Amino acid sequence: MTNHALSLLQLCDSSFPIGSFSQSFGLETYIQKDKVTDANTFSEWLHVYVHEQLAYADGLAVRLVYDALDQEDLDKIWELDRILTVQNLARESRDGTQRMGDRMLDIAKSIYNIPMLSIYAQKIQDKEAFGHPAIVFTMIGHHLQVEKNTTILYYLYSTVVSLVQNAVRAIPLGQTAGQKIIYTFQQQLQQTTDKIMELDPEEFGIVSPGLELSQMQHERVGIRIFSS
Amino acid sequence: MSEWTGVLDLVMENRLGRSVAKTVYFQGAFKVMRPVYFNKNSYPCYYLLNPGGGYLDGDRYQMKVTLGEGAMLTLTTQSSTKVYRTPTKPVYQETIFRMKKDSYLEYLPDALIAYKDASCYQKNSIYMEKGATLLYSDILTPGWSPDGEKFSYDMLRLKTEIYMDDQLVAFDHIKLHPASQDMNALGFMEGYTHLGSLIVVGEKTSDALLDRLYEAIQREDGEFAFGLSKLAVPGFTIRILANYTQVIERIISVCHHIISDEWYQTKPSFLRKY
Repeated sequence: MTNHALSLLQLCDSSFPIGSFSQSFGLETYIQKDKVTDANTFSEWLHVYVHEQLAYADGLAVRLVYDALDQEDLDKIWELDRILTVQNLARESRDGTQRMGDRMLDIAKSIYNIPMLSIYAQKIQDKEAFGHPAIVFTMIGHHLQVEKNTTILYYLYSTVVSLVQNAVRAIPLGQTAGQKIIYTFQQQLQQTTDKIMELDPEEFGIVSPGLELSQMQHERVGIRIFSS
Repeated sequence: MSEWTGVLDLVMENRLGRSVAKTVYFQGAFKVMRPVYFNKNSYPCYYLLNPGGGYLDGDRYQMKVTLGEGAMLTLTTQSSTKVYRTPTKPVYQETIFRMKKDSYLEYLPDALIAYKDASCYQKNSIYMEKGATLLYSDILTPGWSPDGEKFSYDMLRLKTEIYMDDQLVAFDHIKLHPASQDMNALGFMEGYTHLGSLIVVGEKTSDALLDRLYEAIQREDGEFAFGLSKLAVPGFTIRILANYTQVIERIISVCHHIISDEWYQTKPSFLRKY
């Protein structure tokens, strides 16, 4: 592992304060309906979420943004920022992600001196971009010269770690059970990264119906500890 | 020979308050019937029909509908769209709606039925100007299969892009592929077989309307699950999972009535099918 990759790891820490602790992306709906009740059912949900939503949206976006940065094609990045945001038809997930992108950008700007981050922040301030954590993360990974597939892998990892921490609190699961899930999931993350590297860009934004429904339904679930 | 199996080009304009067709062009296996002006409406309903009776291997359809400023239109199908076995190439349908300022389009097609080994990709591109209002619906259903299998089709893929003043404002992409997905599992169809969507874009969208729709849908009988959420622009999506086309049609109809009542104080016409 290079020191550069170590810097990127800092962003993967679930305590990196971008507010991911308040986003469940529909998981809470399943918990409230007693469909996710333990480590097994949570792992099932996590598997579907990563393979059937995250890979086609954030995951593919990391790859495409990385390529666009290589080619200095900024318009492509703004286009991806927009499609990433509007493909999220569930309002809470869309708004929550946007807030996370905003916060990550704020913190990253104070840590790194990356001109691209300032350009992105200005675009958002001018309401010409929305802000998305996958894009901020990729800008940093690219700047640190972390390889594209590693950047994708770390991004997926950071999402999974946050979701597991949220599941530990919400279901609840034991901390050890949570760590076991993260460990078991590592191989899948590698597979998902390989799949993302091969995806046809035309497949962008595919989402499976049940996941999306649960994200929409979250707006009206009774007890809420998460904002999506 | 055209690369399309069927082409339809319909251009509507507002002539002194009455919406009329400026161009009606169709070729190949795609037709529209004569327009019907229900209840002395100022705008017509056009029925699409597929004279071939269904979509076959490798068929390609293109539908272009353009609404001029202030033009209004109801567009529906005469019956369900059937997609049969596609052993070599998926069926492709491309729909392009262009809507000028203050135009109104309600697109309420019958269900799409995908039979055994059918593969179908439908791509919708909708270009709206500010002030236009869209009601878009679709229903994806699996066809009857001889061995009683619930999901015997190969693939159903639906991509919808909505642009407002040339900026993408909504993007929906569903791809159901039963061979690689456990359709009954958590996150997929979750025990249901039919998927319905209603996407509405309109400046009059309000939280009160969404609440009214939510409550009305909840009151509906039958087994179904649904979600309702606002878009990034004034508008919303309703997604419905059910086991019968009729359940989804009823929910869409209830929503259509509420929207017409809230926004125009009118009742939608009953779309007679022959």
